[in-house]
Amino acid sequence: MKSQVEVQDPITDRILDEWLEEPAPFLSILHAIQDHYGYLPEPALRRVSQRMDIPISDLYGTVTFYHFFQLEPKAIPDIRVCENSACCLHDLDQLCEEVAGADLGIEHSGKIEKISCPGRCDVPVPLLIGEKFLHGAKPGAIGEAVEATMPLPPETGQQECLFQHIRDGVSDLKVALEKGAWKSPLLAASDPEKLISELKTSGLTGRGGAGFPTGVKWEVVRNENRGPKWIICNADESEVGCFKDRVLMAHTPHALLEGMTCAGLVTGAEVGIIYLRWEYPEILESLQAAIDEATAAGYLGEDACGSGRPFRILIRRGAGAYICGEETSLLNSLEGKHPFPREKPPFPTTHGLFQQPTIVNNVETFCAVPPIVEHGGQWFSDLGLGEQNGMRIFSVSGDIQRPGNYEVPVGTPLRQLLVEFAGGPLPGREIQGVTMAGVSGGLVGAEDLDVRLDPASLDGLGAMLGAGGIVVHDDTRCMIKAARESMHFLKEESCGKCFPCRIGTTRMTEILDELGSGQPVREGIMEEIEDLEEVLGETSACGLGLAAPYITRMLKKYWPDQIQQKLNGSTQASEGADDE
Amino acid sequence: MMSNENRMTIDGAEVAFQPGETVLEVARRQGAFVPTLCYDERLDPYGSCRLCVVEVEGRRLPASSCTLKAESGMEIRTGSDPIRKMQSTLMEMVLSENPDDECPRCRDIGTCEVHDLAEKLEVGRERFLGAISNASKDDSNPFLLRDYDRCISCYRCVRICDEVEADHAITMTGRGWNKGIATAFDGGLMDSDCTLCGQCIYTCPTGALADKKMVGQGEIPGEVEVTRSVCPYCGTGCSINLHSRDGKMIGVTPVLDGPVNEGALCVKGQFGFDFVNSGDRLTRPLIRKNGELTPVSWDEAFDYTAQKLMSVRADHGPKAFYAIASGRAPGEGSYMLQKFTRAVMNSNQVDNCSRG
Ligand SMILES: Cc1cc2nc3c(=O)[nH]c(=O)nc-3n(C[C@H](O)[C@H](O)[C@H](O)COP(=O)(O)O)c2cc1C
Ligand code: SF4
Ligand code: SF4
Ligand code: SF4
Repeated sequence: MKSQVEVQDPITDRILDEWLEEPAPFLSILHAIQDHYGYLPEPALRRVSQRMDIPISDLYGTVTFYHFFQLEPKAIPDIRVCENSACCLHDLDQLCEEVAGADLGIEHSGKIEKISCPGRCDVPVPLLIGEKFLHGAKPGAIGEAVEATMPLPPETGQQECLFQHIRDGVSDLKVALEKGAWKSPLLAASDPEKLISELKTSGLTGRGGAGFPTGVKWEVVRNENRGPKWIICNADESEVGCFKDRVLMAHTPHALLEGMTCAGLVTGAEVGIIYLRWEYPEILESLQAAIDEATAAGYLGEDACGSGRPFRILIRRGAGAYICGEETSLLNSLEGKHPFPREKPPFPTTHGLFQQPTIVNNVETFCAVPPIVEHGGQWFSDLGLGEQNGMRIFSVSGDIQRPGNYEVPVGTPLRQLLVEFAGGPLPGREIQGVTMAGVSGGLVGAEDLDVRLDPASLDGLGAMLGAGGIVVHDDTRCMIKAARESMHFLKEESCGKCFPCRIGTTRMTEILDELGSGQPVREGIMEEIEDLEEVLGETSACGLGLAAPYITRMLKKYWPDQIQQKLNGSTQASEGADDE
Repeated sequence: MMSNENRMTIDGAEVAFQPGETVLEVARRQGAFVPTLCYDERLDPYGSCRLCVVEVEGRRLPASSCTLKAESGMEIRTGSDPIRKMQSTLMEMVLSENPDDECPRCRDIGTCEVHDLAEKLEVGRERFLGAISNASKDDSNPFLLRDYDRCISCYRCVRICDEVEADHAITMTGRGWNKGIATAFDGGLMDSDCTLCGQCIYTCPTGALADKKMVGQGEIPGEVEVTRSVCPYCGTGCSINLHSRDGKMIGVTPVLDGPVNEGALCVKGQFGFDFVNSGDRLTRPLIRKNGELTPVSWDEAFDYTAQKLMSVRADHGPKAFYAIASGRAPGEGSYMLQKFTRAVMNSNQVDNCSRG
């Protein structure tokens, strides 16, 4: 067979020699090759195929799945511009025109490539040139774009939990230790049952969107007797409007490492892997520095925290794919397989990475573990309002005075978050609606701003709380367009495996385009929407497709008048002129 | 004892199942109509078309029955109104993905799962119209037409190439709407690991993949006869269907329930039948006389051959004789040849070409 012809590529061989003995090395190998050559040359991939025993066709197909693996050399980088909900509230056409010819301090080709949300909705519009981000590029004010820094969360003046020390410089190990960091793993090791019971008492549920009880998850993995087990931190954070994991990793990395170490010591896993989205290069660096520091100080390594047991933490960098945040797709991605989601069951707790028992938790979930160990499950639970447990972080962006991350008690009214903490709408404007869960949790209209931020309350409205991203739209916006942008993101990020989602998100986007166009629409378009909603919401194979109908259902619920206007053939946007 | 064990309910009827069976298998055995497009019983369950969804008592959402393992006590409903409606919508969505013009495969060998199913579900290509996905690939190989205009991205071709043929020649590329099927680095099949076995053609539920030799056959008048036979090439004994019209072969298709091949064939059995109707084929004996092949009678040919063989044995001994049976000859012929080699030529040097 043709692929059996030996390929020579000493550089790639050296990279392979360096990585092949490491756990889940696939993504790191490809990144190392791309870092060296500027792209993934064919001979290098053929060499990887031979030595990793992956058929070259499969390897090629897998590489083409990701946004940021390149198969062609590109001497001078293009300018990549976020095209999603918070950023497209700005006039992106104008922005693109302006930046193409601008001196941005970094050499660029002047060509524009639109990308999905890189998790910087609080500093719109981010530009990505090579691996450097600029923040805050606004049409008409390109000069205001600055080199990226990671903003701290604005203060709420209320009690915080995960954010309690975040403004104190705890990314530095010494400061973190002064604030009580790295105490929990030893407790976890000495009494794992107690830790699991505290987690259960705390009511902590997964902060990645699905909301599964964390204590139960850890218990299942602890009780499995196969191994090696794995601890995986899902830091793919790719949903539009979500940037909470970013702030945690940037400013309180030891809380994350500590939480993961607890998981390792409770379950007997010896390796933790952080699956970090490609679009956080700054964090790749700072988080690795924190790992190195913690390892040097003995909190990680052969005798983690003095427990007598090994635990180490590795970072694996994604390559640009929202679906890789879905936990089984993430596992396939780590294993070097085509990153389609897997059929569930079996779940990762029993058949995770390399089919071994695996904890997959979100960054925020892990970060909540140390304070629960320190203060007890009941304490954490009591932080929630009423029946609710604990605190949650919400990423707020869009038409709002103080975009950023806010940690509030679960059950806090949406209005309080937006108006009291995030400063409310811009002067002279009113909030018309917000997106939920990022965007895949649908929309909530102004009339329901008093809804409480807990999963059940959002459910009651027909929306979804999800991973806590909220993009605010004020009264100048066309909500059909807002819905269209959300759907367009899901369409772009659908893995394409299952028919309802691949075709459904595409057709929905087209239909919303048609509705928003102001031109007469085809007959039966509302029935088409309804039928697509049904098929998407009932038959899709994973959460991406299943969530898609929230967007249109909530649009119809809160803004029937805007739709009716379009159906009547009116070219007028809602209450004001659409500022696009 | 344990009356419930390995029993489940399908559409109200209690049925037994074998552990490990999927709900789809059990339901179909029960006679339930459960449509599929990404399913091929030779392949691992994949769960991508979602047409096989069924209602499962106690579950909020329908489940794809091809990936759902049967469990004791399960209650399944296959064809409720909501399920049928979703299946119809899905089918309309599938039809909307591809252009409307006529498809070569349907015409040429008269089967297309997509169009059959659309008919069964009584839907057409009328709603959800919009962008059309994929694109035809200009592939210069002699056998396989790759017209991805018709592709529905079920990846059965990729999976049969991986799971059954173990050739791993093709892969899915891209993602979402911008997906496709390609060889490594997107070249032609001839530059890939493809063995041109053609198996992807016969799992493909549409006309996206077709036998180039069969393309256009549908337009020629006259009944096509299908004769089940055994591939004459090697000793494996793969079952094949010979398609012929007016006594002339026009194509080969694999027999899915062939006991040795279960639908698999290799490039020779699948495409190498040109010799049957070839003008170059020998129809009578020829002897080279003065450098020219000259037709002779059978008697003359036998005498000539016998005499030559005898003189070889006499002059050089039995070891000078080596017989190779053609893989294309029937078993009886091969038997006769080894008998002749041993008993007449006194040589034990005998082999069959398909061992090479
Ligand atoms: C399309 C999709 C994208 C997801 N993206 C993320 C993500 O970026 N980060 C994350 O933690 N969870 C994400 N999830 C949820 C994960 O599948 C999984 O539930 C989570 O990582 C488990 O951790 P938790 O229990 O701590 O939330 C996503 C789910 C879906 C369906
Ligand atoms: S629902 Fe969408 S993202 Fe999920 S498996 Fe199906 S196609 Fe892929
Ligand atoms: S002809 Fe055979 S080897 Fe080639 S792509 Fe099809 S299944 Fe694979
Ligand atoms: S070519 Fe045929 S078998 Fe392959 S994915 Fe397309 S429709 Fe399916």
